[in-house]
Amino acid sequence: MTDLLAPLTTELRRGTLTLAVLSQLNTPQYGYSLVQLLEKSGIMIDQSTLYPLLRRLEKQKLVTSIWDTEQSRPRKYYQISNYGIDIYCQLKAEWEKMNEELRALLEGNEQYGSD
Amino acid sequence: MDRISLYIQEVTRRLPEKMREDISLELRSTILDMLPEDFTKNDVDQVLDKLGNPAVLASRYQDQPMHLIGPKFYDMYITVLKMALMISVIVSIVIFSTEKIGIIFESEASPLVLISKLLGEAIWILINTGIQSFFWVTIVFIIIERTVKFPDDTAISLSGKKWVPSDLDSIPYIPLKKKITIGEVVFSLFWPVLFIILYLNAANIIGIYQQDSNGLQFTTPVFNQDTLMAYLVIVIILVGLEVFGAIYKAIARQWTFKLAVSNIIINIGSTVFLIFIASNPNLMHAEFAPYMANLLDQSIQSINIAITWIKWFTVATVIVTSGIDSYNGFRKAKIK
Repeated sequence: MTDLLAPLTTELRRGTLTLAVLSQLNTPQYGYSLVQLLEKSGIMIDQSTLYPLLRRLEKQKLVTSIWDTEQSRPRKYYQISNYGIDIYCQLKAEWEKMNEELRALLEGNEQYGSD
Repeated sequence: MDRISLYIQEVTRRLPEKMREDISLELRSTILDMLPEDFTKNDVDQVLDKLGNPAVLASRYQDQPMHLIGPKFYDMYITVLKMALMISVIVSIVIFSTEKIGIIFESEASPLVLISKLLGEAIWILINTGIQSFFWVTIVFIIIERTVKFPDDTAISLSGKKWVPSDLDSIPYIPLKKKITIGEVVFSLFWPVLFIILYLNAANIIGIYQQDSNGLQFTTPVFNQDTLMAYLVIVIILVGLEVFGAIYKAIARQWTFKLAVSNIIINIGSTVFLIFIASNPNLMHAEFAPYMANLLDQSIQSINIAITWIKWFTVATVIVTSGIDSYNGFRKAKIK
């Protein structure tokens, strides 16, 4: 039933989205460039989720934004703030911990055949 | 207007003023970024498809929920709604009955017409009241959903705070089989009321109807109204007791021994009265038997025998149903 797999996978991705986005904002990025960066790493991101997310991160003071009007097309650039870097490091540590826990759980489980 | 501008308009019109310009600019720049140099209509559609439903996008930009009443307050909403509907329905019925009870006795119109008219009015009032209650409760909760802020999304219990196990202390434990539902109470109230209306107007309602040029015409009553009226006091007492029984049931909400005892007493009372009245030789209207004999082309003798059979069969049925009802009361009372 691949119909079920898709939403389950989406749910899995959704949890890691903030971490993924913050990790790429060390250098200023605008919406679309961020999408491309993430897609290069294989993370297919739902754009209708990304843009509101960036706005929310700004509201939470994790990133800052500037409008660049010098190019032919005005673009809004986002970059991680100091507070954002702080949170990001902690979040990354949490993620790595979770990863280890899950790995132990999954590997210890021989029942499901091919692992 | 081109599709891009239309799309952006659809997203931003759902957003508060202060966000509009910034998001509009950002969206346009993003969409243009996603398009190749010489883009076609198809390209535009593909990009817009990736961005998705503008309403959904807009809702994600905001903090406003996309539902009227969410999981946090839903349980409370349903409970309050049920209580409000129940109370308003009961109050409406009571007020309606007291207003109209006089009319039943004073009206000149044919009782059948009268009753259907009253029933129609009653149903209309109930629907009206129900809709009003539903509306007001819902509106209040919609407002609550959007104004009251709680730290997390867990459902709020009736106390207004997060549920704790000690909340269970205030809920009576009623196993389902033992419970008396609102439906049962309404049902128990309905029959005595209907019975007394029919009883008082029996001579005008209960009888043989003939179809003729003027519509349904009442020709012969079944019962002798004088005989019925002679028993009026007892009937009123019994109906009063039945109403009392219904109220007792509503308050107790489950079958107890005491309730079962009261129930059986009321049932015995009604049944005894029924037997009593059935054995009154003057119960039937004097003209009923001859009329039936004429209609069915039988002798008056055989008609009278048939009537007696039907009469006692009905009494037997009532005895059986009362018996079952009384027994059930005790059986349910015994459930732990």
